[in-house]
Amino acid sequence: MVTATETGHQEAANDRVMFGFWVYLMTDLLMFAVLFAVYAVLHGNTMGGPSGRDLFSLPLALTETIILLTSSFTCGIGMIAARRGRINQVLVWYGITFALGLVFLGLELREFAELIHEGHTLSRNAFLSSFFTLVGTHGLHIISGLLWMAITLVFVVSRGLNPHMVRKLGLLSLYWHFLDIVWIFIFTIVYLRVFV
Amino acid sequence: MAITAKLTRMEWVSSGMSSVHSTDHQSNGEHGTVMSYTIGFILSLVFTVVPYYLVVSKSVSGNALLATILGFAVVQMIIQILFFLHLGRGPKPLYNIAFFVSTVGIILVVVGGSLFIMRHLHYNMAPTEVSRSVAEKEGIYQVEGKKTGACQEIGANHKVIIGNGAISPRQIKTSLCDTLTFISQDDILHEIAFGLHPNHETYAGEGDLHLRTGRNKTITLNQSGTYQFHDHVNPELTGDFTVKP
Repeated sequence: MVTATETGHQEAANDRVMFGFWVYLMTDLLMFAVLFAVYAVLHGNTMGGPSGRDLFSLPLALTETIILLTSSFTCGIGMIAARRGRINQVLVWYGITFALGLVFLGLELREFAELIHEGHTLSRNAFLSSFFTLVGTHGLHIISGLLWMAITLVFVVSRGLNPHMVRKLGLLSLYWHFLDIVWIFIFTIVYLRVFV
Repeated sequence: MAITAKLTRMEWVSSGMSSVHSTDHQSNGEHGTVMSYTIGFILSLVFTVVPYYLVVSKSVSGNALLATILGFAVVQMIIQILFFLHLGRGPKPLYNIAFFVSTVGIILVVVGGSLFIMRHLHYNMAPTEVSRSVAEKEGIYQVEGKKTGACQEIGANHKVIIGNGAISPRQIKTSLCDTLTFISQDDILHEIAFGLHPNHETYAGEGDLHLRTGRNKTITLNQSGTYQFHDHVNPELTGDFTVKP
């Protein structure tokens, strides 16, 4: 027999965990803000070489943005399915989120590879250093998120959709939405800005 | 084994009940609905595509465009925070909001402060060639008996007009300590760089000049010689000026 206090405790524990994770996300946001500040100060230091205007492709950036935004949406729908206990829908929607995240990552890695291949490496000048650090850090967060997502989905398959898994998915969704919000600013301040 | 299985099943049932509880008072509150995610998604799409087309079509330009796209970014962030992250809903929203607001405050101080400090550091501790332009701006004609090269008396003003695919005049003859004003006459950004593309040199400590309609840039010609310049946005547009000592 389960008492009302136990369900209350479970909810309170969930709230605490979610809040704790929110605190972590805020510190992560602070780290990104500092990387943005560095980029803002150093983006002009090209040592006479090509600037962002010469190197970036705006259509590519828009594509990446829409892909990540869509993955954030599908993640949200997956979360609704998780709260309703619909395990198959969870797998489908988070599977789509994962696939979109993978495509985003692929596009970004290809952009980096092309830049490096043309000699615009992060040790070239301060602009490129700050660019690769800022966008690369976001990319590392995406990789971590994808790994986390894959492992969580494997657990969902093997252990089923119990309340702990739902909570884990909730944390993962928070993380994924947060990454999309950071990307909005990367899209605006790094890519859009140079073509203004 | 059977007991633990039974317990976990009851745990699942109980939190199934608590999530039924939750759905009663929280489903349209703390967690999202398909409708709210869809609205957030569509709004975010709009707030992504509109600034993109504003930049690509160059219908707005300059600082107005910059402020606009930043504004769109901030609004889209708020949209996603409300519709995807559900900030402000749930039983104890104040903690999350308070933490978010304090983080934003810290960010404003750290980022704004850094930009402020670095800008002034650059101005006050610039390398030698930039100090030349600083000396000119500040009117410092000599330091410890040595002349800085800054002009004490300003001569005539010459104008160069860039716009609609042309630079006029393309060759300017000036004298030492005259001034040269670059004027933009169309709606796009022009970036006057000294030297020929892709080289960007400096003239008397002045680097790239960003021109917009209504915002001209003037340099004091305190270095004699002949110098070329080009519009980095349209590198085929070149010109040169000669400064006679």
